[in-house]
Amino acid sequence: MAMATSSSYPPPPPYYRLYKDYLEDPKSAPEPPPPIHDATYPLFGATYTTDVVLPSLEDQGVRQLYPKGPNIDFKKELQSLNRELQLHILELADVLVERPSQYARRVEDISLIFKNLHHLLNSLRPHQARATLIHILECQIQRRKQAIEDIKRRREEAQRLLKESLQTLDGHQA
Amino acid sequence: MDIISQLQEQVNTIALLALNTFGTLQRDAPPVRLSPNYPEPTSKPSQETINGEHAKTTSANLVQAAKTFDALVAALPLSGEDEQLKRIAELQAENEAIGLELEKQLQAAEQELKQVQEMFNEAADNCLNLKRPD
Repeated sequence: MAMATSSSYPPPPPYYRLYKDYLEDPKSAPEPPPPIHDATYPLFGATYTTDVVLPSLEDQGVRQLYPKGPNIDFKKELQSLNRELQLHILELADVLVERPSQYARRVEDISLIFKNLHHLLNSLRPHQARATLIHILECQIQRRKQAIEDIKRRREEAQRLLKESLQTLDGHQA
Repeated sequence: MDIISQLQEQVNTIALLALNTFGTLQRDAPPVRLSPNYPEPTSKPSQETINGEHAKTTSANLVQAAKTFDALVAALPLSGEDEQLKRIAELQAENEAIGLELEKQLQAAEQELKQVQEMFNEAADNCLNLKRPD
């Protein structure tokens, strides 16, 4: 305990000394390190890559129950997986009544189905991201159109006021 | 909550319900006769009816959760990836064009504002020059 209270955090890296004359001459100090591109980096003991892609089920060592291919019919696969899940739950109930020692395989099947379900739902997220982007762009276009209308209206009103005031001035002079 | 998160929550709910169903059934199950040599184990009949009702409600909940999942899946607004990418490209082009138009209007409006301010300054100067010093 005494060690924990007396131990201090590691000192900050000594790079701050290089920036002594930064205010006078910004070029005298080194540039910050460039962002890493297509590389692996360690973070808290685990390695990560800059490629943010959902790893496929085989990468995680899990059997994929729904068919592979470029276009997956998500609704159909999700509903069929749901039905299979219910069937497996019923099977588990049967097995527990008849042959209780053989529960392990059934439980494994059920957990496999759950993993597939979650993986399917996770692979829907990029679609959601694109849909969010479409929504944001539509809102932005709407706001810009509104701003253009506002500016046009104000300009016309300003022109009208100027014309009126000119007419009044001419009326006074004449 | 967005629909995908709702679906994920529903999957977890189904898992939890299944777990609880089997857990309570196993915990409250009366002892079973192992072999014809041993006598029939004593079991209270009142517990059986409780278990029967409990099993009915929990299984009804499980089936209800599965139906909710199906309903949520049916409500998914899915479209192809290509359609989405096409729409994004269209919207970007439209956004670009509208951005240019907005900039044009803004510049014209700023120009007019400057002109009006100059005219106002001139008029104010003329007024000051015409005013007799008291």
